[in-house]
Amino acid sequence: MATKSNYGWLQGRTVRKGGHASSNSHTRSSTPQVQSTSTTIFGGGIKDPSGRTSEYFSMDDQCPVCKSDRYLNPKLRLLVSSCYHKMHVHFSVSPCESCIDRLFTLGPASCPNCDKILRKLAFSPQTFEDLGVEKEVAVRRRIAKEFNKRLEDFDDLRSYNDYLEEVEDIAFNLINNIDIPATEERIAAYKAANAALTTLNLQREEAEALALKEQEDLERREREARAAQLAQQEQQEREERQREERELIDKLETSQKDAHKIVAKSRIAAAKRSSARAASSSANSSLLGMSFGMDYAKLLKTRTTKVNNVPDEPHVPFLDDYYAYDDLYTVRAEGYDDIISEAVRRDREGIMRAGGYKVEEAWNRALLTAVAGLDAAPLSGLDEPNSLGDVDVVMESV
Amino acid sequence: MKRPLYEASTQYKNWRYSPERLSQIRTTMNEAAVGVIRKTFEAYEPGSSSNVSFVNAHEEHLLVTFYVHKISQLCGHFRFPEEVEATATSYLKRFYLKNTVMDWHPKNVMLTALFLATKTTNNPISLDAYASHIPNTVASDVLDLEFLVSQSLAFEFAVWHAHRALWGIWLDIQNLPDSLPDIAQTQKSIYDSALSHVRAARLTDAEFIYTPSQIALACISLVAPALAKKWLESKANITIPENQTDIPPRPSAAALSASIEAIESIITETGKVPNVEAVREVDRRLRTCKNPEKVVGTKAYLARKAEAEKKAEEKRNKKAEGQKTNGAGDVDPFGDPLAEPVKPGLVDYDDDDDDD
Repeated sequence: MATKSNYGWLQGRTVRKGGHASSNSHTRSSTPQVQSTSTTIFGGGIKDPSGRTSEYFSMDDQCPVCKSDRYLNPKLRLLVSSCYHKMHVHFSVSPCESCIDRLFTLGPASCPNCDKILRKLAFSPQTFEDLGVEKEVAVRRRIAKEFNKRLEDFDDLRSYNDYLEEVEDIAFNLINNIDIPATEERIAAYKAANAALTTLNLQREEAEALALKEQEDLERREREARAAQLAQQEQQEREERQREERELIDKLETSQKDAHKIVAKSRIAAAKRSSARAASSSANSSLLGMSFGMDYAKLLKTRTTKVNNVPDEPHVPFLDDYYAYDDLYTVRAEGYDDIISEAVRRDREGIMRAGGYKVEEAWNRALLTAVAGLDAAPLSGLDEPNSLGDVDVVMESV
Repeated sequence: MKRPLYEASTQYKNWRYSPERLSQIRTTMNEAAVGVIRKTFEAYEPGSSSNVSFVNAHEEHLLVTFYVHKISQLCGHFRFPEEVEATATSYLKRFYLKNTVMDWHPKNVMLTALFLATKTTNNPISLDAYASHIPNTVASDVLDLEFLVSQSLAFEFAVWHAHRALWGIWLDIQNLPDSLPDIAQTQKSIYDSALSHVRAARLTDAEFIYTPSQIALACISLVAPALAKKWLESKANITIPENQTDIPPRPSAAALSASIEAIESIITETGKVPNVEAVREVDRRLRTCKNPEKVVGTKAYLARKAEAEKKAEEKRNKKAEGQKTNGAGDVDPFGDPLAEPVKPGLVDYDDDDDDD
């Protein structure tokens, strides 16, 4: 198959590069969309409007009913039943489409392995190799539709967490077939109790998605407008340049003045114009950039569902009452004749100063140390200036 | 009145002593240590302490001073900057104001102090490289004592150094109105010999009594008294600006001269490397009077270790029990709900261990 499509260009067919890359032996790039099975039923099959998700597809596929396999029938398409029985080779790992058509033409029939009644509509294309995942995705999609409460709907974090836990319990039960009737009852009870809130949240979600889309549209439009403006500017510039050239040639033809002078004059004028243009365009673009930045900020804001209103606290600079001897010394502006810092000062490439080292700061610190505590009188006698009674503490503690 | 910056340093607040106080600390600590160790000896072998000759405070100090000298040798070997050497020296000296050589031998503590100093002064070296350059030393020898040393230093790692003050004075001398423009070149011998005095001062107690600037000035004064005086007077003569009423008074040359003289005599009298023979003798005796609890393999060491383990075990049990009783209540295993973020407080910029 791969070879076939590799030589497709020889037969005048278009070879889609991206599509080809994904259609290795495990996935099929183009999922047929005709089948009602994939869109109408509960569970199974990922609904992906962008079409990027592909159906699960393996060279080892074989219909458990008619035993036809991919080798004999490359178009073989296996569908998953709604009971997801991995163990049962028969219906779980999926009879092929034609078998389903044949078996279920007369209406619902029971799965030969479990007693569940299966309908033709309830077969869906397989997305994941693991049927367990397939089932989990379906269950979670269903649960998410009903249980869409948000943190704002609760009084405190604790109750929200309890709610999430309950949802997770229900999902777990459904996925693992634990206590299904009771769980369904729970879901029904919840549904009845929270119908209003659920609808409200659904609407909210839709509104948010809409707002996000609008923002993105706005942004896109702005980008396009900017590109158009740039193109227009370029066009203008080109025209102007052509006009200048024509004028210059005209002048050279008609005027009696020195040709060199005319050329120089027109060059100066052109330079002036181009610099003026550059200035105006940079002003323009900065304006555009700003509005783009603002847009982006707005977009981010809509993305975070909850806006945190943290009031700005006024900045309080660190104030202390220390005296840093700053009137006792000044660092000489012209520097010092200093052998210690000679290597650093001679370092022209600035390798030694790469981390932000400044020799002036080192000098400043040295000068500060030189005058710091000059007047401090030494202690005398046995009087204790500060309670240093812990002399032996360390010795005893280790 | 504003507080001078130096008085905010831990060096000024916690590591400043009078000479009398210094000797008192050393004597009382030595006596206490001898008492404890004698008791330990007696506890395991009654009567064994009678013929042990313990080292006294003076001998302890001698040994420590010798290892201070060893640090500078080691620094020369590693080509560490002056700052590392000075810092390690201070650490070692400070450590033995709180510990005795009978518990911790300075030959081990010295290595840790130096390694710690490379880290605190931002001149790091890898532990393996460090240990491999010192004979009979493995990485764990250095690290085992690190917390102990840090604890003894009360985690006050920032040290103000006299050599930096000397540098500052030497720079500032160029700024004196009547000094020759090429004084740094022509008079370089003054700086060099002053620096050697600063190094000698590290062997003394000067840094516990006087400030780095005073020590540096004394070192210059030892070489060129007139120059030192001129510089000091230039500082004393700077008038306080009228609008600044809250700064402390100027250093007065008269009041300082006594301190300078005292430092000079300390340096000339005690700023020497101890006699190796005398140190060897102390070290030989130290071998017999070491705290047996700290010597690996002795009965006392094992007993002490067992006791420590018992204590740790008890602590663990207590903790487990505490958790059990706590667990009975309705406690959220994920902790309480997140509180509102605490209003960020002001950062305390009180550390002065930046590097130049």
